[in-house]
Amino acid sequence: MKVRFWGTRGSLAVAQKAASIGDKIAAALVAARGRTFADVAEARAFAESELDFATFGTYGGATSCVEVEAGGEGDAFIVCDLGSGLREFGLDAMGRCARGHARVYHVFLSHLHWDHICGFPFFVPVFDPAAEVVIHSGHPDAETALRRQQEEISFPVAFDWLRANISFRTLEVGTRYPIGAVTVEMIEQHHSHLSYGYKFTDAAGKSVVYSTDSEHKIDKMDAETAFVGFFGGCDLVICDTMYSLADSISMKEDWGHSSNVVAIDLCHEAEAKRLALFHHEPTYSDADLQRMHQESIRYEELTRETAPLEVLCAYDGLVVDV
Amino acid sequence: MGTSILVWSVVSHDGAARVVKPAGKIDESTATPFGERLAEEIEAAATDGLAKVVVDLSHIEYMSSRGLRGLTLGQRKASEHKVAIVLAQPNEIMREILAISRYDKVFKVFDSVAEAVAG
Repeated sequence: MKVRFWGTRGSLAVAQKAASIGDKIAAALVAARGRTFADVAEARAFAESELDFATFGTYGGATSCVEVEAGGEGDAFIVCDLGSGLREFGLDAMGRCARGHARVYHVFLSHLHWDHICGFPFFVPVFDPAAEVVIHSGHPDAETALRRQQEEISFPVAFDWLRANISFRTLEVGTRYPIGAVTVEMIEQHHSHLSYGYKFTDAAGKSVVYSTDSEHKIDKMDAETAFVGFFGGCDLVICDTMYSLADSISMKEDWGHSSNVVAIDLCHEAEAKRLALFHHEPTYSDADLQRMHQESIRYEELTRETAPLEVLCAYDGLVVDV
Repeated sequence: MGTSILVWSVVSHDGAARVVKPAGKIDESTATPFGERLAEEIEAAATDGLAKVVVDLSHIEYMSSRGLRGLTLGQRKASEHKVAIVLAQPNEIMREILAISRYDKVFKVFDSVAEAVAG
């Protein structure tokens, strides 16, 4: 399997400002210490090898959208959430369809909040009459949410004008669904109007969990046993790590999100192999996210008792081989 | 993870604060008894009319999020009794964990028990 992160930001899409790009360029020039480069390729090689990620790159600012690629071109696309990252996924998918990929999209919605559905009106495949889009959700009101955001007061293109064959399917916790090239399971999560996490397992037994917008309540820590079971032995767990632990149990308690250290503890207990930090706080700069990533790696080291857990920090454009 | 054993001692009770000293690792296997014992210590402090519980962390190897959140639940219980919880002499690992979790922003952390009692 491959996992492609098209949008990793939480709550609200953000963009780099001129000043932050200027800061990155200035830091890169200082790091180069007067070196000259024969061409762009040589300069890029220097930047990739010598600069930290927050200077050389960016974590991006599109909201939640993650593709799980399982099977081949004949199999359906699998997409988690319809955040603003969906726009770029849609364009890329159209290119792949032009080269022969099946025009079938299985979408899995964590929940219906705006940042997780706002990309749908800009999803080009829904204008493809040959496309089939199946929107899976634990929420029976998913169709209402998607239709409502395209009503005239909010958007100029009505849902009924879309050309693809779009259908909605409500899934249930506790059932294993064979869908496309994977088997899908779902877990209920604590969030306003509920949210759902998904586990995708391919024919080879590789598994990926997508668990975002999930608050692990301080007064219901026993409920974490279910998540440890759900994450058990997974090859990649994508977790909501929006806040510090202190924020998540103080000022931002009941905001529906979790922390890096709780995600690491759950993955440790579940003996998962890799964790991707996800649903990044929109006020965090690249430097903030890089620091959070480094601190998470250190926390994993400090609390590790068995096999190492690799801690990734998801960014828009990251591709992970599972 | 294996089952850890948590040992407690109440090392002083000097009229200003109840000083409690758990020893071991606080992870998912010990967090519940840690929280229960901390609650008992808070109630004992309140019964004795003490305004503060000092948690001496010097013999804590490390604390996972379960233990940290146990401290917060203790803090909430303590505030109901108008008792404060402060932390004292964490080892280097615990100092890092308190910083990474930003718990050093929500608890007062002292280098020594004496400073914690006086602070």
